[in-house]
Amino acid sequence: MKFAIAVFSPAHAPSSRRALRYAEAVLACGHEIARLFFYQDGVHSASANVVTPQDELDVSGQWHAFIAANQLDAVVCIAAALRRGVLDEAEANRYQRQAVNLPKPWELSGLGQLHEAAQLADRLVCFGGD
Amino acid sequence: MTTLHVIAHSPFGDERLVSCLRLLGTDDALLLCGDAVYALRSGSEPHRQLQAAGLAQRLFALEEDVQARAVGNELAKAVDYAGFVELSLHYDKVNSWL
Amino acid sequence: MAKSLLIISRQAPWNGPSAREALDIALAGGAFDLPLGMLFLDDGVFQLAADQQPTAVQQKNLAANLQALPMFGVEELFACSHSLTRRGLAADNLTLPVQVLDDAALTALISRFDQVVTL
Repeated sequence: MKFAIAVFSPAHAPSSRRALRYAEAVLACGHEIARLFFYQDGVHSASANVVTPQDELDVSGQWHAFIAANQLDAVVCIAAALRRGVLDEAEANRYQRQAVNLPKPWELSGLGQLHEAAQLADRLVCFGGD
Repeated sequence: MTTLHVIAHSPFGDERLVSCLRLLGTDDALLLCGDAVYALRSGSEPHRQLQAAGLAQRLFALEEDVQARAVGNELAKAVDYAGFVELSLHYDKVNSWL
Repeated sequence: MAKSLLIISRQAPWNGPSAREALDIALAGGAFDLPLGMLFLDDGVFQLAADQQPTAVQQKNLAANLQALPMFGVEELFACSHSLTRRGLAADNLTLPVQVLDDAALTALISRFDQVVTL
């Protein structure tokens, strides 16, 4: 079965970690992830500038590793990301901001990508909260 | 179509659980995770509300969150992440109360 | 056939961007001609209150965007009767033409849609 997974919370929120563990379980159970979509404060989960203390779980780093290892389609909502200062190189240039904190393979795109993923998938599962 | 409702907020000072229980269909299920598992603490108001809702086999809790919070749980069926994924497929859709 | 999506909006309008971002999901889906519904629940019904003056807190008017929903093809609009009553809002004085539903009708509504997200 195909899953679309949407994350609405930053890496330091318990629900971002929960979304990651769920996504791992989806693959471990032999299912497919059509797309990961990061919206609202979830765009912070994609930020490459999160520095986690060494003795704490680095959820942001684990998201990056998980997406890269499984070559997943990971889309960050562009409007939500701009509002919260999560920028790739093109957007940083466009708005003349100094910091770039959204590396590849994350991709900035619109909410249409969430709808497309929901249409492609058998289940849309969203994560947010405490 | 059936729905698996998922709540991750503490039931204390938050309306999600009460609203969810009002809208829950007879074939729908509820999965508590994160701070929402505090609703399972016996003697608490949300625990009474869950009991009154008579969910029987349709109430689930994410095991790790129950363990982490030392919430005694005699009400909900504990599931791990594989169980969560399975529930997501058993019900026709998943409605997360973000 | 395209899957239908019900967006349940339960955030008050001037509590950060949440209400607007929930609405944006609906508007984006409407632009793709997807079968969408929007339900205002809990504090979300405050989005429908008449005569709000968001300029007082330097916010854009959400009502204009809400009123765009039917133009974007999102014509299935609902509000929870219990939430309205509890907040002292009258069903006949709302900024959008919503169907006001009781709890049993809301259960049936959620059941009818293929997918649901509650923001």
